[in-house]
Amino acid sequence: MTITKQINQCTVRLEIGDITDFEVEAFVFYATEDLKLGAGFGNAITMRGGLAVQKALDEMDGAKVEDVLVTEAGMMKAKHIIHAVGPKFQEENIETKLANTVRNVLTTASDKGFKQIAFPAMGAGFYGIPLPNCAKIMLDNISSYLAKNSHFEEIIIRVLDKREYTPFVSEFEQLH
Amino acid sequence: MGKPRSHKAEKVLERLEKKLNRQIVMSLAACVHCGNCSSSCHYVLANPDDPTYQPSYKADQLRKLFKRHVDWTGRVIPWFVKAKSIYTDEELEELKDVVFGKCTNCRRCSINCPMGVDHATFNRMARGLLVSVGVMPEGVAVVSKDQWEIGNQMGVLKEDYLDTLEWMEEELQEELDIPDIKIPVDKMDCDVVYSINPREVKYDPRTIAEAAKIFHFAGENWTMPSEGWDMTNFGLFSGDDDLGGAVGRRLYEKTEELRGKKLVISECGHGYRSTRCEAPNWGKIDVPFVMESSVDTMLRYIKERKIKVDKNKNTERVTFHDSCNNARSCGLFEEPRELLNLVVTDFQEMYPNRTENYCCTGGGGAMSMSEYTPNRLKSAKIKAEQLKATGAKYVVTSCHNCVDGLTDLIKHYELDMKVTQLVNLVANALVIPEKVKEPEVEKVEVPVEAEAPAEAGDLAGRKILVVDDEPDILTFFSTVLEDNGATVIQASDGDEAIEKVRQEKPDLVTLDLNMPGKDGGQVFEFIRKDEELAETPVCIVTGRPELRRLIYDRPVPPPEGYLDKPVDEETLLRNVRKILAVG
Repeated sequence: MTITKQINQCTVRLEIGDITDFEVEAFVFYATEDLKLGAGFGNAITMRGGLAVQKALDEMDGAKVEDVLVTEAGMMKAKHIIHAVGPKFQEENIETKLANTVRNVLTTASDKGFKQIAFPAMGAGFYGIPLPNCAKIMLDNISSYLAKNSHFEEIIIRVLDKREYTPFVSEFEQLH
Repeated sequence: MGKPRSHKAEKVLERLEKKLNRQIVMSLAACVHCGNCSSSCHYVLANPDDPTYQPSYKADQLRKLFKRHVDWTGRVIPWFVKAKSIYTDEELEELKDVVFGKCTNCRRCSINCPMGVDHATFNRMARGLLVSVGVMPEGVAVVSKDQWEIGNQMGVLKEDYLDTLEWMEEELQEELDIPDIKIPVDKMDCDVVYSINPREVKYDPRTIAEAAKIFHFAGENWTMPSEGWDMTNFGLFSGDDDLGGAVGRRLYEKTEELRGKKLVISECGHGYRSTRCEAPNWGKIDVPFVMESSVDTMLRYIKERKIKVDKNKNTERVTFHDSCNNARSCGLFEEPRELLNLVVTDFQEMYPNRTENYCCTGGGGAMSMSEYTPNRLKSAKIKAEQLKATGAKYVVTSCHNCVDGLTDLIKHYELDMKVTQLVNLVANALVIPEKVKEPEVEKVEVPVEAEAPAEAGDLAGRKILVVDDEPDILTFFSTVLEDNGATVIQASDGDEAIEKVRQEKPDLVTLDLNMPGKDGGQVFEFIRKDEELAETPVCIVTGRPELRRLIYDRPVPPPEGYLDKPVDEETLLRNVRKILAVG
């Protein structure tokens, strides 16, 4: 299950898979303010990437919502991890914060010179952002960014399962 | 202007109205505070002087919100119906301690309520409201996030799951000397798709091998899925319906993708309840295939004579613990007894039992919250008394949470009893068909023509470090290995092991996990992280399979072998030879 869309020289690809287990220049990890990798994808990063990633994060002084930081990816198939501290659990102004976080990821990745990045369904699932909102905010912000910037070659949205895939397909179809 | 309310409290109240249904409203409205529920609750029995453990008190913490914000009585006579609101994050934290820390959602009070108040159902709802604003015990957050993002409750990575299946397949082939016995993965068009609890992968993989053995001898056309294999569902425990639906959907979609005819759910109370009964509702899914507990599957195999069992292979006295989710919520209590009576000679019923049985205190996930462990174990007193009265050597249960809950309380109350499951007993009682046994018979009668046994002395030139804090084990391992030619070095604690492995650079380390000072997990991680030593083969030896987490939780490559204590000479040598590729 894969669909693609071309936006200003960048291929935007939607697919199902494990974001912590594939070859990509950088992928986004939905981080917490204490920058502890913790469970879920964080657990997978530790298991597959080794202790180096957490060690690099420990040297930073925490972060606040909307901040974006980049580390190496240790022994993972990816080269870099973009740690994006997004909003969680129905917190105030959650949609604005999510939009800002997505834009900050794109800007930071661009500043680092990355050509290919992968996003999960940002804040959906454990952190409770409803999937339709997540899909709309992510694709709106990615497409508007790409309309003005031509740096990226490929942006991948790699979601967990069909349940996450479906709302993104609806939003994909509305992309110009 | 009213009293200010925190953002989280506001969101909880907003969601409260959306989550109400007829069953919950009836339960919230119908309580007459008669106190019948109190004598049913294991928490109350252990804390008779503390009214905050009474189910009706716990229910009132949510009921007061319902009265204040939903029910008309709270608007008209709030003082009379004790309607109250919630304002601060601190109050949410207090509610968290009540709904997560003082109730296992076992539903024993629910079935004893003359008004039909289902306290567990709205307790679960209250948990869900708190989870939606991020107020939950740390353990609940960890397990939920693992299940959301990795796809199973214990964060088992796909490669580790598949490795474990392969490992169990090899063990089975070796044990039975049947090269074609398989644990099939993603086989299409099977009659049975077998789903398991991640605890089986992480701490008790022998249950997978034993189920495979039963499927094999039953001639079943079966498979395990490579993804969507976790039939447990933390949404049932945490109250997160979205998680509940998502987990169920993954399992159902994978079974459909494989065109499986039936989804068999291994022995797990909350897994069975959530997969078979609840998740289709949470996820609004129409499931097009049959689902059944492996208890039903095994019983059917015996009744249909697909497998033969000899109950004389299980002669120790056993008793049976009904999982709350299986018995009270799903009515699965006669089938396990019928099966049990077919595979053991001495079954002693526990009292009370079936729907009146007391909770193991594992509570479908309660063990993930270490902050409540002392209270939980205190409340297990009645369960310990129940177990002790049976005089059984084994307590059998069809639930993995209960296995852990019971193991924990047996240790705490120092009972002389072990926990096992029906799959273990059925596998042990299996009568291996003659046509399969024939080659083995030949081997026994004509040993010269049999597969050449490894010769004594075949470990000559191999240096093996034996690490164990028990002197008897050290002596036994050393004698067996030296008799077979190996040079043995000994270490009796973790620090000594590290020193010896550095000095001696052995060809193999047999490593006990539970030791004073540095435990086996720390020694193992040291070896794996040392550039010079990282390739040293390690065989983990433990009497407590649950301690394997000391190994699995470390971000380093897995060990080359595992041995469960007690270890006999043959098993030790077979595994050592296999790891060293000798013979």
